[in-house]
Formats: sequence, structure tokens, C-alpha cells
Amino acid sequence: MKIKTSLIAGLALCASPVFAEDVVRVSGWGGDNIVVVNTLLNEVLADELAEAGIRASYEPVEGDFAQNITNALSAGTAPDIFYVDSFWGYPLFASGRIATVSEANQAVADDIIPALNEAFTYNGDLKGIAKDFNTLAVQFNKDIFDDAGVDYLSSDDDWYDFRSKLQAIQAELDDVDGLCVVPDYARFAAFALATGWTPINEDGHTVLDDDFREAFEFYTSLVEEGAGVLAADIGQDWTGGCLGNEYTAVSIEGAWMVGFLRDQAPSMEYDTVHIPRHPGTGERGNLVFTVSWSVAADSDVSESAHKLVELLTSPKAQQWVLESGLALPSREALGDNPYFEQDDREAHMSRVVFEGASDGHVEPFAFGSYGESWKSIMDEALGAVLLNERTVDQAIAEAQASYDRLTGR
Amino acid sequence: MTELTAKARAEQAAVRRRQWSAILLMYGVLLSVATILLGTFLFSLLASIKRDPLEQPFRLWFEQIQPTNWVVAWQQGRAGANDAFWGGLAPGGSVVFDVTYAAPVAVGLEEPDIQIPRRRPGTGMAAVVYQDFAADHVADLEIRRIDDERFTAEDADGLMQEWEKATWRIAFRHDGEGPRLERVPLTSAAPREQFLVDATLPPSLMERRGRQASWDNISPGVLGYVLNNYRRVFKESIDLNTGDSLFLSWTRNSFFIALGRVLLTLTLATTAGYALARLKFPGSRALFMLLLLSMMIPVQVTFISNYLVIRDINLLNTPWAVIMVAIVSAQVLIMKQFFQSIPREVEEAALMDGAGYWTTYWHIILPMSKPALITITIMAFQGAWNDFFWPLVLISSPSNAFTLPVGLLSLRNAYGGAGDWSLILAGAFMSTIPVLIMFIVFQRYIVDNPIASGSKE
Repeated sequence: MKIKTSLIAGLALCASPVFAEDVVRVSGWGGDNIVVVNTLLNEVLADELAEAGIRASYEPVEGDFAQNITNALSAGTAPDIFYVDSFWGYPLFASGRIATVSEANQAVADDIIPALNEAFTYNGDLKGIAKDFNTLAVQFNKDIFDDAGVDYLSSDDDWYDFRSKLQAIQAELDDVDGLCVVPDYARFAAFALATGWTPINEDGHTVLDDDFREAFEFYTSLVEEGAGVLAADIGQDWTGGCLGNEYTAVSIEGAWMVGFLRDQAPSMEYDTVHIPRHPGTGERGNLVFTVSWSVAADSDVSESAHKLVELLTSPKAQQWVLESGLALPSREALGDNPYFEQDDREAHMSRVVFEGASDGHVEPFAFGSYGESWKSIMDEALGAVLLNERTVDQAIAEAQASYDRLTGR
Repeated sequence: MTELTAKARAEQAAVRRRQWSAILLMYGVLLSVATILLGTFLFSLLASIKRDPLEQPFRLWFEQIQPTNWVVAWQQGRAGANDAFWGGLAPGGSVVFDVTYAAPVAVGLEEPDIQIPRRRPGTGMAAVVYQDFAADHVADLEIRRIDDERFTAEDADGLMQEWEKATWRIAFRHDGEGPRLERVPLTSAAPREQFLVDATLPPSLMERRGRQASWDNISPGVLGYVLNNYRRVFKESIDLNTGDSLFLSWTRNSFFIALGRVLLTLTLATTAGYALARLKFPGSRALFMLLLLSMMIPVQVTFISNYLVIRDINLLNTPWAVIMVAIVSAQVLIMKQFFQSIPREVEEAALMDGAGYWTTYWHIILPMSKPALITITIMAFQGAWNDFFWPLVLISSPSNAFTLPVGLLSLRNAYGGAGDWSLILAGAFMSTIPVLIMFIVFQRYIVDNPIASGSKE
């Protein structure tokens, strides 16, 4: 009898469900992303992961992330989930090595800001769910405006209001310039897009029309007009560095300035306003910088990988990301979050940057299959004029010719 | 005769002059090279101590290396945390700090707005490492004006003016219940017409266009004051799961890999070098040519195949993978040439005494090859220690498996974007020390050659 009972008990034990964990390899940037993702996986989402039977391990990539992921996908060693930046994602989407967002996660995608989904859509298929995003805004140092006796910037300013305030500062203060001008489409776009100009039109071509020319002339003349300084001339390479060091009164950057200013200028009295409006259309222009969580098409734990993406973009995870001040959530509904309403300069910057994604002419920071080649033509044209190597006419004509060759126009 | 002597003297003098100029030239060149090399080293050491290593112009005499500040930092650390070396604010500790402002009497002195701010780091792991802030644990904060003085001084326009000077004393203690705090920041803001002329410790930086003086830590302790960047390297690169210092893990990994590489290199280079130098076997010449050819193939050409092999034998993300990819052709060549320079008579004498190849190699040849062995040891160690490519490719996870160069890249990614180069520079400086020590210790063996006295031709 005893033997029989033991046998039954043994069989019952064998028949009980075995909870095996799927190990999902997650990869993203190194640096402070190690902190963000590890905290999300080990603390914020620990219960949900245990419940789903998922063990996630974060593999940060130091160095060139895009190159690393491309190599890993080619060698068959890619992680199950990884970041894909809208800027370089297109060739990966086209290669078929990235899985389309699962049926279950389509519901998650519906809650994401539409402009972000657009950045990861390839041939009608969604190839990743935006984990967070950034847009451009104008940060300004209030002390500099006070010292110069100039009114603070306002979100209602148009290009000319913006420029005249910077001119007034530069005229009044010897040791400060208005804005650091950089030969970078990622900043110039704030003006170019405001005119209604489209970087790549419906035919797949780039046409540098009169709208573009207006913005190009305005931006490249800021130094000459006494409203800015070439960043390289004061040993800087981005507008944020100029503001953080009190070399300039304003910068045009995203919410990444929060962390930078906390360390670089912890006591700076600053505020943030939206990108100035185009004087004619009254619209603003902006770029959306975004990165998705995408799943490798040949992942061995595909189901768990999609589930993990769902958890990483869940309201709980995104709420934590927002409150930590480390990134802006991609869920549209979080726009009403009380965090944004705090009377705090960091929360205010986050709100302005969040609103930037749906205010005026907004384009993703992505150029389809052209990628970096498209941007470098624009950067060269801006640089040539800013360094007085070309006139505006020459630079635009040369850039147009390059774009025609690139896009086969 | 006299004329001849005079001529000879003149010639001797000319020879002496030439000798002296040659000596001076030689020493001049050596001193210049040493100055340039040591100068670079000294500059990087100084920069790694500074709060802002990128400051322009670069100062050689700055706050952290001034002994008067060391004394104050020592006293402040003792008062705040009973720790003169690393300072901070601990239960039972109290801090007193003075700031002195001056302004023309016509303008008048205003009481500065003095705060102990709650400074949350913005980037890197510092954002999670520092969870306790002095601002939350300060008790009995008292600020009072203690000293007034009037004096006459020339202003910027050259006019004599009467000035007023006053000192404010800030005193507080730890509330007694909270944790030991590593840093006690302080800010003091005053109108721009009012100048900070003195303080217990010089401010770390002036903010808000000169309105506000900021101190990162007013109770630093002497080491906390001078070597704060070095402390940050250990504190702000930690394993989030275990709390262990990543920098120490990276250093350990680098040592392990370098040691592994050295042993592998020594084994392969000496055995292969000896075989190629002394053993007669068919194809030895072709093998040697193949070896030379392998030196001409860039690593990148064989990188993918090597990577796939390592992946297939499951060695990715292990130090063994990095040890295994040692390329020793150059070292084999060095050892082969060195073994060939050893007189055959030595080996023949050993053979006569009944020694086999292995005994000759182990007991006779290797002990005689100390200079060459040390040279390739240093080469292998330095190569492995500074290797960036293979560890970057082969070890991607977890963070505590990185080697120092890859770890430093991780620090750069985390802090470089925020312009916080001090911590990165301190880490980079520390990473050079082992190779430096190795050179200093072993350099005399490199030039020492026992063979010269070991054989009589």
C-alpha cells in the first residue's frame, strides 16, 4: 500500500507543470542606458517578468551600435530584442531580419503616438514599438536675458522675433552670443520643415524649392545677422554645449538637455519654449528622434520576446521612464500625466519636447533607404555656406544636383 | 715651436668644443624627448585631478594641488565625518564654512542666498548611485554675518573707491539619523556687483554668469579633495546587481587576459621559435614563410571566421576567447632569431652530457633567453592590456566581463556626452599604470644580455 501511495505521489509530481524560464537577450546602448534598462528589468517589471516566465538579460553595446547589430544579425548571434533607431533602421527592415510586430502587440502600437509608429513602418508592416522619443525645443538661459534686458523667449515667437531677441543679446553683452549655429540638418530642420517643405516628396525625390531656400537663407545668415556664432569658432560642436557653458543664450536641443544641464550647470536658471513659428505659415517644424524595441526574426524565444516588448512599453514601464526624467514615453495617453504639470524646469522641458511631436510639420529623423547619405549632402551644403566657401545659390544648386543623383530624379 | 704649440692648442680647443657641443646636443635631445614624454604624462595626471580637465587656458597651479587647501580639506573632513582623508558628513559631524564678499560702499553688501542644494546627478550610473543627499540630512543650519571691514581700493576704471567686506559663517550638523553622506554641496548667490573674495575653500565653479559660487563638497577630506575624480571612477561604475565596482572587475579581467596572453605567447613563441631555429624537419622553411605571410594579414580579414569559430565553441563573452586570439607570429620570429644567435656549442655540450631536446630547451636555452623572453612578455602584456578590438567584439555582456579599454568606452558613452571628462580621464590614467610599472621594473633586463659573456669565440 505504501509503495503504491509513493508511486502515485511520484507520478503526480512528475505530472505537475514545470515552470521553465525563457531567457530573452536584450540589447541596447551602453552608458546610462545600462542603468535604465536594468532597473526596468530587475525592479520595475520584476513581478511581471516572473509571471510571464521570462528571464531577461541586458547586453549593452559599447561603440557603434548600428554596426554591431548589423554584424550580429549577419553572424546569427543577434539578441532577441534590441534597439532600432529610425535613422538607420530602414536597411534592417528591408533585410527581413526583423520581425513584424506580433498580433498581440498591435494593440500596444495603437496607443503609441502615430508619428512614432510611422518611423518604424516598412511596406505597411510595423517593425518595432517606439520605446521613447525626443523632439527639438528651445532652451534659454534666463540670467543672460535679464543681464541684456531682453524679453524672455516665448512659444509664440516667430523666426524674426527669435532672431531679433538674439541680436539684442549679442549687441548688449560682449561675452555672450545668441545661438550656436551648427551645420547639421538635425537642427536646421526645425526651420526648414516649418515652411511646409518636405525632405523626400511623394515621388521619392528631394526638391530644394523656394520654401527650402527661405529657411536655408534664414538659418545660414544667423551668424552674419549678429544673432549667433559658429559653434566650431568657440570650440563646441553642439548647441547644448554652448548653452551649458554660458557661451550662448539659447540652444535648440531635445530633452537630453535635462541630464546634461544637471551636471554641467546645476544652478542655471533656464526655461524651455517651443521652436519658433514660421512668420508666413504660423506653423512650427520639428523632427522626431525615436528608437524602437524590435524583435529578431530568427529569435528562438520569439513569443517571449514579443511579450517582453509588450511589458517594456507597458504603461507601468513608461510611467517609470517618464518620472525618472530619463526619457519621454511613447504612449500618447501619458501626455496628460501630472508629471508634465509640475512647476519644475525639467518637467517643463519634457512637456514642451513631448508636445513637439504633434505640433506643426513634424517629420521622423529618418531618410528611408538613403540614411546618412541624404543627411550628409544637407550638412555639407550648410557647412559650405556657414564657412563662406559657397554662396547660398551655389550650395543649393550643388546639393540639388547631389540629391538628384541620389534619388534618381 | 711656439707657433706650432699655439696651433696644436687651438686644434685641441676646437676638438673639445666639438665634443662639448656634441654632448650638449645629445643631452639636449634626450632632455627634450624626456620632457615631451614626461610632460604629456604630467599634463594628463594634472588634468585627471581637475574638476574640468578641458578648462581653457590650462592651469598648472590650481586649487586641488595647493597645500593650503589640503590642510583645510583635511580639517573640514575631520569635522564633518571624523575622516580627514575622505571627508563627508556623518552622524555626529558638524561643518563650519565661511564666505567673504566685498562690494563698493556705494553699492552696498547684500546677504548672499546660501543653500545646500539637492543635486541629483544627470548622467551615467551616478544617477542611481547617489540616492542620499546632504540637503535632506542637515540640521541646525545657521548663517550669520561675523565680520565687517572697510577698505579703499582701485576699481576697474582706476578710481579709488571705498569698499565694504563681510564674512558669512555657515554652520550645520548632521541630523544624526541618516546615512553617512559623501558630498556636501553648497551654493552662494549674490548680486553681480558683489564679489566673492574669500572662502574656506575656493569654489568649484562660478555659475549664473558670476552670480553664484558653487562648491561640490565643502567637507571633502584631503583625498576626497585631490582625488575626487579617482573616487568617482570606483563609485560611479558599479554592477547594478551586486553593487561591486565595475572598474575593479575590468581591471581584474584585463590582468587575467593579459596574463593568459603572456603565458600563451611565451609557450607558443619559445616552442615554435626553438623548433624553427634548431630542429631539422621537412617543410620547416615553408612553415617559416607561412609564418611571415601570416604577419602580413590584417586582423580584420580573419576576424569574421575567428568570431564564428569562437561562437560555435561557446566561448563568446568569456575571457578565454580574447586570450585565444593571440597572434604570436612576430614573437615567434623574435624568439627564432634569438635562439639562432645562441652558439650551437652550448647545445652540443648539453647533448654530449646526455640532454635531449626538451631538457636542452628547458634547462639551457630558456634561462639564457631571459632578455628576449622579457621583451616578448612586455610586448604581449602591453598588446593584451591595450587590446580594444577583440574584447569589444568578443565580450559584449555582461558589463562586469569587459576589459579596461572597453570599460573606459562605456564610461565615455555614459559621461562624455555630458562633457564630464574628469572621471573618464582619471580612469584612463589609472589604466596606464600597470604597463608603466612593468616597463620600469623590467627595462633593465631588456638591455642585459648574458650570452655576450657566455661564449668565447
